[in-house]
Amino acid sequence: MNAAADFLHFDGVAIRLGGREILSPTSFDVARGEFVCIVGPSGCGKTTLLRAASGLVTASAGEVRRNGVKMTEPSREVAFVFQDYGRALLPWRTVEGNVSLALEAAGVPASERAPRIADVLGKVGLGKHAQKFPVQLSGGMQQRAQIARCLAQKPELMMMDEPFGALDALTRQSLQDELARLVRETGLTVLFVTHDLEEAIYLGDRVIALQANPGPGRPSLARMIDVKIPRPRDQLTTKEHPEYLQLRRELFAFIEQGHD
Amino acid sequence: MTERGFFRWLRPWIFPAVLVAAFEWYARRASALGSDALAPPSAAAKAFIGAALDGSLWQATGFTLGTAALGLLLGAVLGIALGLVLGLSRRAAQLGSLSVEVLRPVPSVALIPLAMLTFGFGVRMELAIVAFATFWPLLVLVQSAVQQIEPRLLEVSRVLGLSARERAFKIVLPAIVPRLFVALRLGVAVALVVAVTVEIAANPNGMGYAMMIAQQSFDPALMLAWLGWIGVVGFAVNAGMLLLQRVVARRMGVQP
Repeated sequence: MNAAADFLHFDGVAIRLGGREILSPTSFDVARGEFVCIVGPSGCGKTTLLRAASGLVTASAGEVRRNGVKMTEPSREVAFVFQDYGRALLPWRTVEGNVSLALEAAGVPASERAPRIADVLGKVGLGKHAQKFPVQLSGGMQQRAQIARCLAQKPELMMMDEPFGALDALTRQSLQDELARLVRETGLTVLFVTHDLEEAIYLGDRVIALQANPGPGRPSLARMIDVKIPRPRDQLTTKEHPEYLQLRRELFAFIEQGHD
Repeated sequence: MTERGFFRWLRPWIFPAVLVAAFEWYARRASALGSDALAPPSAAAKAFIGAALDGSLWQATGFTLGTAALGLLLGAVLGIALGLVLGLSRRAAQLGSLSVEVLRPVPSVALIPLAMLTFGFGVRMELAIVAFATFWPLLVLVQSAVQQIEPRLLEVSRVLGLSARERAFKIVLPAIVPRLFVALRLGVAVALVVAVTVEIAANPNGMGYAMMIAQQSFDPALMLAWLGWIGVVGFAVNAGMLLLQRVVARRMGVQP
């Protein structure tokens, strides 16, 4: 094993819920600072894989190791961005208060919270909306608030479960670019689940494709693709890049095949 | 106020006014025929003013409201605490379910003999019964409110690493506040009804007892005055709770 494999390691992780195999034994490594996208048809277990990696569910077989230690419980070093931002924010707290929750949980003294809140809100472009309640914000802004709360945790690993899936196309594109910039600035490692193949290629250093119902004894992991498109990427030139087009064709063909 | 607005404002008062007028006419006719059982509303109003001036009105109202409030406080604190426990722990809910289902339907008034034996006449007996009567609705409503908390919020608290105490005070309690207020409004209504009932049946204090005394001393005017007043007090208390609920809901970020 090389040093990179020590950061996050999936070792034959399988999950059964209610007698049904949600995820068949899956193994792969994630290196520190890597942006890994996970795609696959619905029901292939991509969200479940993410939840196992963050300790929200326990693997029925195999294990997830982070820095060589088996994950059994959620940890503050692993942040989780839920898809349904509307339910993941506390409706009775302002944007500022929601971010503050992460700091309160980490035991950050009250005097140090304000500058850190201002810092992360500035990073996600919500500096002017600190005093607003979630219901007063658009979907995109609510998701920014959730990302700010995760950044306030100062995680080394961020799990994102279809974070932009419910947003309109324009908002999604600007959030993709901001996320890519944030990740570059902070050196975060990201596991990003999406059903959008183009989003996966655009954001990822690597795309992992899962398949639903792989059949007995076969792993859920079906395909692993390195994305070597240079960074920083942007919505126009990257999406015309020959490698982008080629990977897009490859992945689409693969997913279609999987459905047959 | 425009003419239209004025009529709109007047509309809910029409029916009560007609009712009072009809009652006035009927009661006057009955007393003209020699009956002592009824008094017209005008006589009740006179008796009401008398009771307000000699202070007996305020003393009895204060007693009933104070006892109902204290009993509710007792029942609510216990009910909310146990409701939180039963809502958060499935094991506790299973442990308590049979006891709750057996004890909850016991009519609180049926406890008057027991409470009288234990506490004698007076405030403590009334307090105990009001507390018992308000304890159950709060317990059941808080338990179901806790069970209906958005599961995502509890996951957020796990991912952020909140302690059990922080989770209770920063997630669970604020999340149930809107439902808690619905439960408290119900509790207030129950407390008032039970307090007056206990006073009518057993406790020689408060508005219920004053109404009984008026009835037993053949003073239908005063009795009706109390009856009307109890209705007004109940209306005012409920309106106050509604107002408080709205203020709190707005403070909790719940947009109407």
